[in-house]
Amino acid sequence: MPDIDSKRMPLKVAGRLVVWGSIVAALVPLIFMLITSIKPTGDAQTIPPKWVFVPTLEHYEAVFGGQTSSSQAFLPLLWHSAIVAMCSTALTILVGLPAAYALARVRFKGRHFLATWILSTIMFPPIVAAIPVFIIAGQLQLIDTYPILIIPYTAFNLPLVVWLLRSFIAQIPAEIEDAARVDGCSRIGVLRKIILPLVVPGLAAGATLSLILCWNEFLFALTLTRSDVKTAPVGINEFTGMFGTQWGNLTAASTAIVAPILVMTLVLRRRLISGLTLGAVK
Amino acid sequence: MGWSLVCPAVVILLLMTIAPTIYLLQSSFFSFTLLNPELKRFVGLQNFVQVILDPTIRHGILVTLLFVVLAVGIELIAGLILAVALAPRSLGNTIGSTVLLLPFAVTPVVSALIWRQLLNPNYGWVDYYLQRLGIIGRPIEWLSSAPTAWVAIVGLDVWQWTPFVALILMAGLQGIPKEPQEAAAVDGANAWQTFWHVTLPQLRPFIALAVLLRLVEAFKTFGTVQILTGGGPGRATELINLTLYRIGLQDFQIGAAAALGILFLILLSIIVSQLLQVLGKNTELLE
Amino acid sequence: MQRRDFLRLVACATGTAVFGGTLSSRGAKAAATKPQKLNLLYATAEADSEAVKLVLPDFASKLGIKLNLETFPYAALQQKVFAELASSSAFYDIMVVDTPWMPALTNKIEPLSSYLKNPQLNDITDPEIKDFIPAVFYDAAVFNPKKSHLHFPDSNAPVDVAEIEKQGFEIYGLPLQANVLTLAYRKDLFEDPQEQQAFQSKYGKPLSVPETWDDFVPVAEFFTRPDKRLYGTTLMAGSGDWAVDDFKTLVACWGADGHLITDDFKMSFASPEGVAALTFYSDLINKQKVTPPGVTSFSWDDVADTFNSGLTAMAMNYHDMKLNSGVKGEVAYAMVPKKVASGPHFGTWILSVNKFSKNKEWAYRAVAWLTGAEAQTKMLEKQLHPSRASVYKEAAANSSLQKDFANFYDVLGKSLAVGVGRARLSNYFDVSKVIAVAVNNAATGSQKPQAALDAALPQVKEMLKQAGYTVADN
Repeated sequence: MPDIDSKRMPLKVAGRLVVWGSIVAALVPLIFMLITSIKPTGDAQTIPPKWVFVPTLEHYEAVFGGQTSSSQAFLPLLWHSAIVAMCSTALTILVGLPAAYALARVRFKGRHFLATWILSTIMFPPIVAAIPVFIIAGQLQLIDTYPILIIPYTAFNLPLVVWLLRSFIAQIPAEIEDAARVDGCSRIGVLRKIILPLVVPGLAAGATLSLILCWNEFLFALTLTRSDVKTAPVGINEFTGMFGTQWGNLTAASTAIVAPILVMTLVLRRRLISGLTLGAVK
Repeated sequence: MGWSLVCPAVVILLLMTIAPTIYLLQSSFFSFTLLNPELKRFVGLQNFVQVILDPTIRHGILVTLLFVVLAVGIELIAGLILAVALAPRSLGNTIGSTVLLLPFAVTPVVSALIWRQLLNPNYGWVDYYLQRLGIIGRPIEWLSSAPTAWVAIVGLDVWQWTPFVALILMAGLQGIPKEPQEAAAVDGANAWQTFWHVTLPQLRPFIALAVLLRLVEAFKTFGTVQILTGGGPGRATELINLTLYRIGLQDFQIGAAAALGILFLILLSIIVSQLLQVLGKNTELLE
Repeated sequence: MQRRDFLRLVACATGTAVFGGTLSSRGAKAAATKPQKLNLLYATAEADSEAVKLVLPDFASKLGIKLNLETFPYAALQQKVFAELASSSAFYDIMVVDTPWMPALTNKIEPLSSYLKNPQLNDITDPEIKDFIPAVFYDAAVFNPKKSHLHFPDSNAPVDVAEIEKQGFEIYGLPLQANVLTLAYRKDLFEDPQEQQAFQSKYGKPLSVPETWDDFVPVAEFFTRPDKRLYGTTLMAGSGDWAVDDFKTLVACWGADGHLITDDFKMSFASPEGVAALTFYSDLINKQKVTPPGVTSFSWDDVADTFNSGLTAMAMNYHDMKLNSGVKGEVAYAMVPKKVASGPHFGTWILSVNKFSKNKEWAYRAVAWLTGAEAQTKMLEKQLHPSRASVYKEAAANSSLQKDFANFYDVLGKSLAVGVGRARLSNYFDVSKVIAVAVNNAATGSQKPQAALDAALPQVKEMLKQAGYTVADN
């Protein structure tokens, strides 16, 4: 419809400029991070800021080669973070989707209360929750194991994912489901074949958020791990301290963290979107 | 049937909340530090009374409320604009929405340190380029005065969490049926009218959701502000969580920390339930 | 399975368990078996973990045990130490403890006086306890288990285990990294003939490193040239414990008790000397303006960053400074200036044995070796701040150290001897925050020093009472 498009065009262009302008401005700290990670140490803090310098990979080498003053090489930490994030996100989705469906569609007693209670669990300040969890985990001999991080992270992210998916499912017209049920589809079948494809954007968003929140969680990771399952944020924290920040190592390590997160979320979204919309019945 | 579907989720949540809740409820009636349990004495409601009467804590609550309102408010508007701009599927938008995630993907500790460095009056990019552009004459000591320190902490939060809001709203936009918009366009409505009268109402449950989720998370802000200002100057940016950290994880006075945590929880529940009522009436968030 | 068989199985299992239990308890009465490894929880940079890493191979060969080192930066370390001890975890045999944490931890750390007196346990290393610098030892390692707020009465007497026990105190670890506030300055600027001439003509006396606070002001003013990006000095005036450390140093210099709260709970920080000290501090920033922008949000690392970038001529910090590669200059050190007395803030990291460790005797041997003269001398290579007088003599004789670090070790040793520690409170960080806010408010100019300290006084008293201390109401 060409008429409508040409009316919308100037507004669109102006809008785009504003949006892309602010995105670029928001990139400044990230540019700082990237540039500092390849600057030789002496150039990191100068006035005027040095834009011309000899790039070096020494910080990346130090971080990955384990030659920094921290007690562990960084690569295993990335691996631990990845496993925890992926497992927790998978568990969250697996458990959260049926729950969201039930809360949105199934009229059972107490569902309002349940939905509110689920939300209330994230109002708990993690600071005070960390100590009892640590004590109990210690008694159960679970300190420094994968489950001790996966379960709490899942618990942290479930309310978010459940409420998000719930809103999505609530949007789907009931008639579609009813038609499928009439055709002899079971509840689970409806969930798989009808609901799932339609909530894909919500699933993608929820999974992305869950992944990132897992990757960046610090307090519980610090308290509940020692060295076997130490995650990346705890490792990165070692480049800070009272005696000064090791800017080169810090920014190299955080760039190294951001990369897998981005890759994971990209893969996730594309997979979800392509995999689940195949065979969707609209 | 419904219960069997929600059961696994409920079990996991119960696992993580039952023990801490019992422990905290119990501890709040005692005065002790975890490290000297023999000195544990039952003090009844004394911890709660002390917390309520403490002017520092009242100040902290006000600071936290102000912070949450400012940060979430700005994030909502910015997130909405970004979501609307980046929702339609196109290559540019896919790149844009991936780039959008970057601030959110950076470890909070690191982003706080980077912001601190950028705002350094002697070496930071911000003051340097502002001076070069002639906008300011002397460097701004961002973290040394309350108003600019507030700009810093709210700015950092907005920078980091707007992607969160935008992501939820984008998902919402991508999920809503397109027919109403197309119908409105056929009827001659321009872009703004379509947005305001058609898209926005459809989006309301997601806006409500984003506000709700972001609000609750914002109340728990700790690490970034701790690094950026440490609660300073003075106590100008001392969020309640900073106080909680000091009492609970530096002094390990579990009784006092538990009491403060519980009061905080009660306060938050009141706020959220009021919010849910307001949102529930205007949107289909709860039906 | 038949019920009978099941019961038989249970009986067998129980019998085995009881039998095995008696066997193992008998075994425990014999000499403690040597563990394969010990776990050490340590600080990353603040306690110089590089120095410890350096001696790990020697440790393994001398003791025949592998020492597993895990490090964390300060805040994370504190949480880890407290969490592990609070839950009575036996994982870390040895932990490094910073002085302000100790009052809260006395119940969870193994007291060492019996170990120090036991010749069997001192077979590998002689702890040579009199070699420890007394002021450092008493401040960091000697605490009263029943009244943890008390300091040992005579902190300059040579260390004697019997005397310590007689006074009702205990030894909770052995000191390793001793930190004290020292003055770093740009030697190149101070020795530059042009600068010296300019100073002489302006002030009528020679340019020299200030030894008193009165001398400090003109020197700082002289070097304050904002348009040339040079300032007199930097301070750590941000709202945190570091500001309290700056402040208490000055309080001691002005003649009041540098602990800020005395053992009998007199609030020396709010005394007239305290007010005078805070006024001086605030004036440096707001009246004489000898500090760079942003100083009222600085903490430890900012001071180092700023001085190392060449922005200031002097700086007070707790470790040696190294100028950035782009800055051409030379660093030398001096004791922090004094007024009527000297009292630089100090705090020391000690190695303590976890009360719940299953290898306490070997952990003690490890601690004794790591803090021993031989190990500390080797650790000088990684800039350890030694806690033993003999090691300072070694450092003085070491020419390469002199070359790389100028007179740092000399100043360090002298300063440690007159250092003043912190008050020993179980809620130290809460109390410290109140005082820090007062110092910060005075520094930013939002409150006058007298008003700031007057506001802090009742808060501190209230907090002390809540923590269970008896505080007079006057």
